[in-house]
Amino acid sequence: MERVAVPERQNWQQVAAEHGFTFHTPDGERYWDETHAYRFTLRQIEEDLESPAEELEQMCFNVVERAVADESLLRRLAIPEPFWDYVAASWRNRERNLYGRMDFRYDGSGPAKLYEYNADTPTSLYETAIFQWIWLEQAMEQGILPAGADQFNSLHEKLIDAFRRFGIDGVLHLACARESDEDLGTIEYLEDCARQAGLPTRRMFIEEIGLSGEGCFTDPDDAEVHWLFKLYPWEWLMEEEFGAWIPGSRTRFIEPGWKAILSNKGMMAVLWEMFEGHPNLLPTWFEDDASPEGLAGQQVRKPLLSREGANITILGQDRTVSGPDGSYGAEGFIRQAAAPLPSFGGRRPMCGVWLVASEAAGMCIREDAGPITTDDACFVPHFIGE
Amino acid sequence: MKRSGRIALVMMGTSALALAACEEPRTEAALFETVEQCVAEEGLTAQHCYQEFETAKAQHAEVAPKYMSRADCEADFGNGNCETAPYRTSAGGHVFMPFMAGFLMGQMMGGRAHTQPLYRSGDDRKTFRTADNRPVGNTVGRTTVSQRAAARPAQKLYTQQRGGFGARARAAGYRAGA
Repeated sequence: MERVAVPERQNWQQVAAEHGFTFHTPDGERYWDETHAYRFTLRQIEEDLESPAEELEQMCFNVVERAVADESLLRRLAIPEPFWDYVAASWRNRERNLYGRMDFRYDGSGPAKLYEYNADTPTSLYETAIFQWIWLEQAMEQGILPAGADQFNSLHEKLIDAFRRFGIDGVLHLACARESDEDLGTIEYLEDCARQAGLPTRRMFIEEIGLSGEGCFTDPDDAEVHWLFKLYPWEWLMEEEFGAWIPGSRTRFIEPGWKAILSNKGMMAVLWEMFEGHPNLLPTWFEDDASPEGLAGQQVRKPLLSREGANITILGQDRTVSGPDGSYGAEGFIRQAAAPLPSFGGRRPMCGVWLVASEAAGMCIREDAGPITTDDACFVPHFIGE
Repeated sequence: MKRSGRIALVMMGTSALALAACEEPRTEAALFETVEQCVAEEGLTAQHCYQEFETAKAQHAEVAPKYMSRADCEADFGNGNCETAPYRTSAGGHVFMPFMAGFLMGQMMGGRAHTQPLYRSGDDRKTFRTADNRPVGNTVGRTTVSQRAAARPAQKLYTQQRGGFGARARAAGYRAGA
């Protein structure tokens, strides 16, 4: 793994416009950054990232299996009691999952360490699947990269294939919250994939969802929503006004309810308890439990439900570093043994490995200057070349 | 190879727009306001006409747009053009829907159109519209319609309330994605 300086394609903004990539420079700040790229060997990708991600996914299923049979664990994960049966039923009925992104600490050698699993509402999907792919093809054409380079990125094919096999009969509705170009871009892309899989689709905002007299969810045209891809976190859906109608509705949600267990950082503590010592896991525990024996050194304190680095604190011997302020933490915290992001010329890459229908499907790298990856991180493309 | 073999977008970006602008496929159909108009059409039998009319009428209550008040319904469909639907709100109130203004004969015409009820909106009385508010033309009798417009109409529930999701995104000021 190496960070290399590469020339930008002269016309990349135009290519972005042609492909509907509207959020590459939000508020004038660079997000898509192709002045550098990360080079990996095939062995690093396959042995250190791809295989571990699939193994971890199976371990996560063990956590779900245990949680749905253990109310004290559901309580600990701050899943509201009215949803315990619903979450358990979604798992027992084998409601399918579409995608997720595991965020790893990795520097090219030694086992990658899982920081957390964005199992419910991950973004950076479009730029990974499409724009990064086009970058590689054009960089090879323009001689920026040697011909024969490759990329860990079969997301596009796997997403279309997953939609084909999902068993969706009728219209797939897709919804996100208003006022985020990035979230909208994500569901526009997923809608595009669903159409290519032959599904009729209807896109809307989560605020537009209606509730009928029978307790069914409706779209802006009053048609019932049977299948809903929601880019909106389960923990928010559950506590909002319409949340109480979810269990009794006939709407099938994607991601399914059981993903509420995995997108929760408390899951990392349960994983460690069940698979203590696994090379891809960091020692993690619920804050109100005693720390694992023999653990010394820096710890990171994370709310169970935080996003974009909010309310995360690195507790050091001599100094404490905090992420952006947010409104999280009332639901409880975990502590995780610190594993600082590696530094490549002062930039700190986080390796996000994508899973589609539980198969490893690609990677995105987001770089930040500080030790906590936030919404200000840049997307830097990667390639595989010896 | 660890990457997708090819990438195509059918909806996003300007390269996809070119595809979307292509003409939509059309299909054979016939539009009527009444069964009598249908029977008068050459080549159609009374039996076929009644059968297709009943097929359309049977869908009317399910697929017609629903309103919580007659005034709201008439604002869209014109004065005197709404009736009570065979539904009640959870509080026991009436639900309203427009009168069926005609029917689209699909299967019997050999095309790919779905036989269904038709409506006319208050601000455009000439045009037949499907229950999904897709215009299918103003011809009485045989015609061609957009295959997409003449697809099976969706069932319409009566929405009592909107806006029950989204509060956390507004309050937190965060994106929902991560």
